[in-house]
Amino acid sequence: MTAVSRPTRAALYLYGALILVVLYLPLVAVGFASVSKARYLSFPVKRYTGGWMAEAVTSPTVHQIVLTSLKIAVTVTVISVILGFFGALAFARFQWRFRGLFQKAILLPIFFPQTVLGLALLIWFSAIGVTPSWKTAVVAHLVWISPITTLIIAIRAYGFDPALEEAARDMGASTLTVMREVTLPLLMPGIVSAGLFAFLLSWGNFPLSLFTSGVDATLPKWLYSRMVSGFTPQIPALGVMSVAGSTVLVLAGLILVRWLRRRT
Amino acid sequence: MVGQPFLRIENVTKRFGRFTAVDRISLDIAEGEFLTIVGPSGSGKSTLIRLLVGIDEVTEGTISLNGARIDEMPADKRPTCMVFQSLALFPHMTVGQNIEFPLKVRKLAPEARRARALELLALLRLPADYYGKRISQCSGGERQRVALARALAFDPQIIVFDEPLSALDYRLRKTLEKELKDLHGRTRKTFIYITHSLEEAMVMSDRIAIMRAGRFEQIATAEEIYSRPVSRFVASFMGEVNLFALGSGADGAPRWQDSGITAAPGALSLVPGWNGTAMVRPELIHFVDGGKGGAEFTLSGRLAAEYALGSRVQYAITTDAGTEVTVERPFEARLEAPVGSPVRLGWDRGSVHLIAEGAGDGAA
Repeated sequence: MTAVSRPTRAALYLYGALILVVLYLPLVAVGFASVSKARYLSFPVKRYTGGWMAEAVTSPTVHQIVLTSLKIAVTVTVISVILGFFGALAFARFQWRFRGLFQKAILLPIFFPQTVLGLALLIWFSAIGVTPSWKTAVVAHLVWISPITTLIIAIRAYGFDPALEEAARDMGASTLTVMREVTLPLLMPGIVSAGLFAFLLSWGNFPLSLFTSGVDATLPKWLYSRMVSGFTPQIPALGVMSVAGSTVLVLAGLILVRWLRRRT
Repeated sequence: MVGQPFLRIENVTKRFGRFTAVDRISLDIAEGEFLTIVGPSGSGKSTLIRLLVGIDEVTEGTISLNGARIDEMPADKRPTCMVFQSLALFPHMTVGQNIEFPLKVRKLAPEARRARALELLALLRLPADYYGKRISQCSGGERQRVALARALAFDPQIIVFDEPLSALDYRLRKTLEKELKDLHGRTRKTFIYITHSLEEAMVMSDRIAIMRAGRFEQIATAEEIYSRPVSRFVASFMGEVNLFALGSGADGAPRWQDSGITAAPGALSLVPGWNGTAMVRPELIHFVDGGKGGAEFTLSGRLAAEYALGSRVQYAITTDAGTEVTVERPFEARLEAPVGSPVRLGWDRGSVHLIAEGAGDGAA
């Protein structure tokens, strides 16, 4: 590290700490709201309770909603990672005529405002006569998330020596064997990261689900509707549990990626 | 030639769009031969061997092995194996798994694979406990040996090397060059090696092919190329040689252009109207005492610099005509004179190799 004077270093630490506070303080507020006995949060919290959490965990409605969100997120993760894997090979590894166009076109859905994308998809679904449900929400999420998984895996694909695949082929391996023994294991850290992103982006997505999931409510959609009418501290309780679950998932994913990286 | 010619490359051309990388190359290679292709970057040598192993497809021409065509066979079906410049060792596998890879592809039983891998580790003088090591734990020279072991495990008829030593430091490279030559002697496989270093080629090869702009400029033994290069290009590839422009008049008398060389009468006669280059190797030039003639060709100048090379000493001379000449003497016969001293250089007819203008531009 280059030499930095003591006051500069102190200022940088302070700046870093400030950013973390600004980022995480609202989350702390939600945390308090979920364990405060009062219906509406006020500081200082007078009486704590685990009742809201217990209520949320045992509610059949919540079960239904979490199940729908999980169903969507898992399906989106599996499909977007498969699409992303092959998309990344086309993006980064193979020379083909329309590669430049493909590389640009695939970025567009990411930059498109999600509310507009959701609306456009909803109009499209009704035009072709498909009733919106959790399945159409999967399609909508895929439009937005597949480009992201493609990019994440493509970064990994750029990083590996094409000679590795050529060498495997040269030593008698068929296309399938090259894929299984060389390409797939080398891209695995990218695939795991992409899967993690896909799951979390789908799990937390509100604008696309709002338009395209029809009568099937997802967790963000339900949280929003209860915020608008009929607020109960079950909402922050559920929010906190969702954040905790995501954090555990991210940590597990990071450990897995690090373990995979160490092997390569 | 060693044994029967068995690999034949005939009129092979490779074009990338409008660029011709390999231009109507023909070459016969004998079984068990060690052939090195030498050329600057962009000369087409890498492309040629990629065509040979089947990573790229030929545009025109044929490649046959023992009389059967292999140029239309995909890479995974050809009995050739390439050691890549990057070595292309699989980073997610251990040393043992890397060596066993071609055997695993062939569905050999795990115990047989392991036995063969250990055998090859021993052949390449790597300790048996390297079997379980990660590639990232191996040094540059060890990786080199692992890559070789993997190629040998595949047991191809021809092993092709794409400058695998270029990333290593000088001393390690020298050691591995000798090991490779030794390995060639022990395995009796056909080796085709490419490099941009003629020095490296000379240490190892039975024959050397000098490549330039998609064509072969000269194909010969190391000795032949060293003493009788067919063109200025080949001569200049050998590093520090002295090249003098030379021509002849209508009478065939040599004209040493502007180099300031004095030739004894009748020392050299040329065909009338000859034009070209005279090559004189630095170690064939000696210092002549001021008074006596002592040599058929003489040239005077000043000592510009002196470089100790260990067993030899190299001198840079600026001639009175203003050109640079390199002289090399054994350490025992070094010149005891300070930089700036006037010197006279001399050599004989036998040290002069003539290269006619335009030689080597066509096929060798």
